[in-house]
Amino acid sequence: MKFSQIHIVPYIFCFISHYGIWAQTTFTDITEQSGIDHYFQVYEGTFGGGAVAFDINNDGFEDLYLTSGTKEDALYLNNGDGTFKNIYNQSGVDVTKNYVTQGVVSADVNRDGWRDLFVTTINTTDSTNVIPRAKNLLFLNNGDMTFRDATTEYKLDQFNSFSTGPSFGDINADGYPDLYIGNYFLEFEGTLGVLKDATIVSAHQTAKGYLLLNKKGKYFENVYEDYDLDHSGFGFGALFTDFDNDGDQDLLVNHDFGYKAVHNFLYENRYPKKSFRDISEQYAMDLKENAMGSAVGDYNNDGLLDYYVTNIKFNLLMENQGVGQPFKDRAKELGTSIFMISWGANFADFDHDGDLDLYVSNGDLNPNCTPMGNFYFENDNAMFTEKGRITGTNDYGVGRGSIVFDIENDGDLDLLVVNQKPVQDYPTASVTKLFRNDEPHGNWLKVTLKGEKAETNGIGSRVEVVIGKTKMIREIDGGGSSHLSQNSTIAHFGLGKAQKVDSVIITWVGGKKQVLLDQKINQLLTITEVADEKQSYWYVILPTILLIILIGFYRSKKRKSDKIA
Amino acid sequence: MRIISIRNLSFLLLCILLTNSSCSKKQSPDISEQDVALKWAKMSLFITQYTPANSPTYASRAFGYIGLTMYESVVNGFESHNSLAGQLNGLNNVPKPENGKSYDWVLSLNAAQAAILKNVYRQTSDENKLSIDSLERVIYDHFKKIHKDNETVERSVAYGKSIADAIFEWSKTDGGHRGYLYNFDKDMVHPNRPGSWKPPLFAQSFSHLPLHPHWGENRTFLKQNMGLTTPQIIPYDTLPGSPYYNEFLEVYEKDQILTQAEKEAAIWWGDDPDVSFTPPGHSYYIATLAVEKEQPSLIKSAETYAKVSLSVADAFINCWKWKYHFFSERPNTFIPKYIDQEWESFWPDPPFPCFPSGHAIQAAAAAVALEDVYGNTLGFIDRAHEGRERDEVRETDFVIRSFNSFWEAAQETADSRFYGGIHTTQDNTVGLEEGSKIAQNVIALNWKKNPE
Repeated sequence: MKFSQIHIVPYIFCFISHYGIWAQTTFTDITEQSGIDHYFQVYEGTFGGGAVAFDINNDGFEDLYLTSGTKEDALYLNNGDGTFKNIYNQSGVDVTKNYVTQGVVSADVNRDGWRDLFVTTINTTDSTNVIPRAKNLLFLNNGDMTFRDATTEYKLDQFNSFSTGPSFGDINADGYPDLYIGNYFLEFEGTLGVLKDATIVSAHQTAKGYLLLNKKGKYFENVYEDYDLDHSGFGFGALFTDFDNDGDQDLLVNHDFGYKAVHNFLYENRYPKKSFRDISEQYAMDLKENAMGSAVGDYNNDGLLDYYVTNIKFNLLMENQGVGQPFKDRAKELGTSIFMISWGANFADFDHDGDLDLYVSNGDLNPNCTPMGNFYFENDNAMFTEKGRITGTNDYGVGRGSIVFDIENDGDLDLLVVNQKPVQDYPTASVTKLFRNDEPHGNWLKVTLKGEKAETNGIGSRVEVVIGKTKMIREIDGGGSSHLSQNSTIAHFGLGKAQKVDSVIITWVGGKKQVLLDQKINQLLTITEVADEKQSYWYVILPTILLIILIGFYRSKKRKSDKIA
Repeated sequence: MRIISIRNLSFLLLCILLTNSSCSKKQSPDISEQDVALKWAKMSLFITQYTPANSPTYASRAFGYIGLTMYESVVNGFESHNSLAGQLNGLNNVPKPENGKSYDWVLSLNAAQAAILKNVYRQTSDENKLSIDSLERVIYDHFKKIHKDNETVERSVAYGKSIADAIFEWSKTDGGHRGYLYNFDKDMVHPNRPGSWKPPLFAQSFSHLPLHPHWGENRTFLKQNMGLTTPQIIPYDTLPGSPYYNEFLEVYEKDQILTQAEKEAAIWWGDDPDVSFTPPGHSYYIATLAVEKEQPSLIKSAETYAKVSLSVADAFINCWKWKYHFFSERPNTFIPKYIDQEWESFWPDPPFPCFPSGHAIQAAAAAVALEDVYGNTLGFIDRAHEGRERDEVRETDFVIRSFNSFWEAAQETADSRFYGGIHTTQDNTVGLEEGSKIAQNVIALNWKKNPE
């Protein structure tokens, strides 16, 4: 009651003041016509699932992998005309049938130029486990639209876990993508033999996550303690993000039941030291919530990355106040705090007006099944207005992971939301939805990165676009900027009425910068990393030669003047 | 895990220290009979707290069998008291001592407590089981020395163990055996109607399923506590001014004006199973305070634990039967929907339906049982959570409590759930009433040979 009284006024005000400047963005539900036929089936209750947009065959169109829990996952090849074809059964990933899958992410693990897949699981599907646990699965891309199971080869088969959100990042900036994996319940090593009751009753305790360092594309090693991570919690994964703009990837960890068990964490990467520092309290990011996921985006274009944390009841918008300053939750005053149960969240400039809008995927705690519409928060001058119904994106399925990508390469971002099948009777359909973004009015720019030293797709790097006084930041998502999912790795910018881009600045993971000036709008810009050896060579040689010449010149001049005197 | 093991270690060290000190003072038995009962009660509380995935329901049952075993392991040594064999719901075959043979009843109790504790808590860690063994050893070594003939010692130990075994065998058929393996029934479909319980959004437990939905079907310890009349609940209504609405409005309004003292009561009685010895443990703890203070005879000590634990266990079974019969909502469901969307209770919701209050019913049951043994004027200081870290989320300290009677503590237990915003007045009132009735049945058993 109090809530609605306070907030109706700004809502209406925003709506009126901006209506007419930008006409409404319209989304079209193209699920059926696209050929996507999917829902996530829960193992028990609440957990799962997610999606990743990635290009399987390097044809320039982003394809999809969707987890399905206890039923068969889906691998959708993008036909390029707005339709998809499920190639799951001939793609070599069908071992996932034996597992209750949860989240999925993709990166080029072995740097062969092809996107590989990592799928988290919580159990096997044969239901022989007294304690639900299973290994997670790594699939390497063969380059011919098939994959091979590389879980054992990459030494991942002994991690017996109840894993939720995975994310790729590059903690040591070596170009080989590393992994953080959130575990919800206590993790085990190796197979569980004969179980004592004592083991069974311990099974629901909090878990440590995994920090898996990619050893030059050969295998993964858990360096959790080595890198000074020591928390356990009811983990929903983490997000690699450079919150302090120092060129390395920090870590934002999400925990369920933070008010009761273990809170969220923000860790500062001390790269080049092999260590993370817990700065949660200092930055007021020790959130004691039911953190289901988080989305990164600089919503107010102030050069500092902000984080939207999904929750039960009221989500949080943690606004970055700069290095050394605690974050501030501004969800309520900005209009993104509405009573709900939220999971996935995505910052994206859907309407191409130069600021980040926000999509939020909502869903009840299956088997409890009250329909909850998803949120579409339109950003107008750093204030948000909920327009789920107007945009047609307020799907009432049991929402979980959501992602943004460009289905047909027309320059705008489309939406995919994974929905769970309701366990009980449900008044409306609850299947995975694909929403096509139609008729955004502004200009745009998409940037795809080709890492030479950095990860092949630029995961862990960032792209900044400058137009006049406006600077917009995008981080290349390695997963975790949503719930159990990974967005497109192609950076997307809405440009409004701008006719050119003054500069595009790439900060490759590790801190190296690369700048492109005067770029055209409405294009996909592919930026290949400049090899840093040459650059650093000339940086040293040229000034040295100049210096020698100058000194020589000065000395000869001095000698002359001495003679004259 | 690490914390537990350290605490365990310190507990072991404590036991070792005890042994040493008692050895150093040769000949002087400084462990009294009451001490033995108390040490086992405290060990039971320790195991209850440090066994993962424990629940108030399972803990109440475990205390029931532990308390009963304590009583049965000594009762035949006392002219004044009757065994409960034949008086309980199907407990008939309890071994009797051999005629004309001598027994050390403390050694019997010692062996029986160790055995029953390891059996009802077979899911506890190996190190906890070692703690049980070492306590048994300390007491055994101490009391063994008193006897010249080893036969009495061995006979007493064997008898105690046989009592524990018989009671444990009986326990296996009550419906709660190894109940910690099925805390939640993921296949069960629960009612979904206006006013029905919804998974908590501000929760004590990770589970969105309700705890032990079949617990109400368990066998009660007493036949008399089966088939009690189902209490009345105020009918569902969302109209402001209706009795149902007012129940929740009262919770909401109280929350706005909670005093610091009320907040302290709210967190004190929380007795969260994840970090404490659970609500039934709190009752067993208060029984321990009474025994410590009054230093009654061994049989009266055992009677205390048996009466309290049987009352509490039967209170839980009935409470759970009614909770799932009504499957009623919590204030956290009703208030945000009809009164204030942003409202959240002071204390998080437990994962089970609301009516009647489990805290209230078991606290009343324990208080009635205790007042039967010690009268209604025994005051005590409750130090159950003394020294716990301040609750930073709620900005409230754990402050020890002082009571003039057992009932006063029961009343505060019930009230504390109202302050916590997780129960309405009717949940508490009915809980206190029904808990009293259940305990009356327990104390009406034929405990004494010559009732005073």
